Amino acid sequence: MISLTSYAFVSMMLFSIGVIGVVSRRNIFVIYMSIELMLNGVNLFLVTFARYHFNMDPQVITIMVISIAAAEAAIFLSVIILLYRSRKSLDTDIFTTLTQGEKS
Amino acid sequence: MADLVFIALAFLAISGAIAMIVNRNPMYSALGILITMLSVAGMFALLNATFLFLVQIIVYAGAIMTLILFILMFLNIKEEDLPKEPNKYKFMVLGAFIMIPLNFLVLKAVSKLPAKDLTISDTNFGDIKPIGLELYNNWFIAFELISILLLIALIGSVVLAKKRKSKLNNKGEQL
Repeated sequence: MISLTSYAFVSMMLFSIGVIGVVSRRNIFVIYMSIELMLNGVNLFLVTFARYHFNMDPQVITIMVISIAAAEAAIFLSVIILLYRSRKSLDTDIFTTLTQGEKS
Repeated sequence: MADLVFIALAFLAISGAIAMIVNRNPMYSALGILITMLSVAGMFALLNATFLFLVQIIVYAGAIMTLILFILMFLNIKEEDLPKEPNKYKFMVLGAFIMIPLNFLVLKAVSKLPAKDLTISDTNFGDIKPIGLELYNNWFIAFELISILLLIALIGSVVLAKKRKSKLNNKGEQL
């Protein structure tokens, strides 16, 4: 029988791999996909507890999270296109125009 | 039977996620996370959430990942445009050490909960009708706010993609 802990293990693994991707990679596409992965892990946790408590509220929250992720995808990808057109790079370390350092 | 399906889905989900952060080429990363999202959809089906299973496949695998793949192909990224990541694996080990205490805490807390049967039930739990009743009765304000958010995202992406009158190059001069 599949226990609650095994679902929790999978969702925590997905969330942790998302955090590791955000911390370690410099490609902006991979960072975006890692954020999506963290959202997916949280969704899996919510749906697991919906089944556990036999309650419908977490599934509704999951629908909200999915629609917010869709809105985020539109904005994030159009910003990526603008940045790539002006800088010709996908490296997150060169997007430092808004920081206070003197490096341009 | 459900155990075997769960183990296969968990293996595919985690290995797709690892392939996503290890691969250097973003195209392979996108394919890896596509596998992860389909496996998570399968887990939703095992957890009796049939409507969310459909939504996960349509919205995540169908819309968002297609958008990412489309933009990756549209930008036509060369090998030398990819950022150099010399100490990628060092940061990965560091991130893993950061995340171990949180994982330990959550899994310890969850394993203390009383065990319940999580197999597929025959009721209409998770179908589209109970979700719709719940959404329109108790979550109505959140639903309307989500529609405003999607409208703002639509307008924002149109404004961002619009052609500017004067363009600046990366040294701040006018072209």
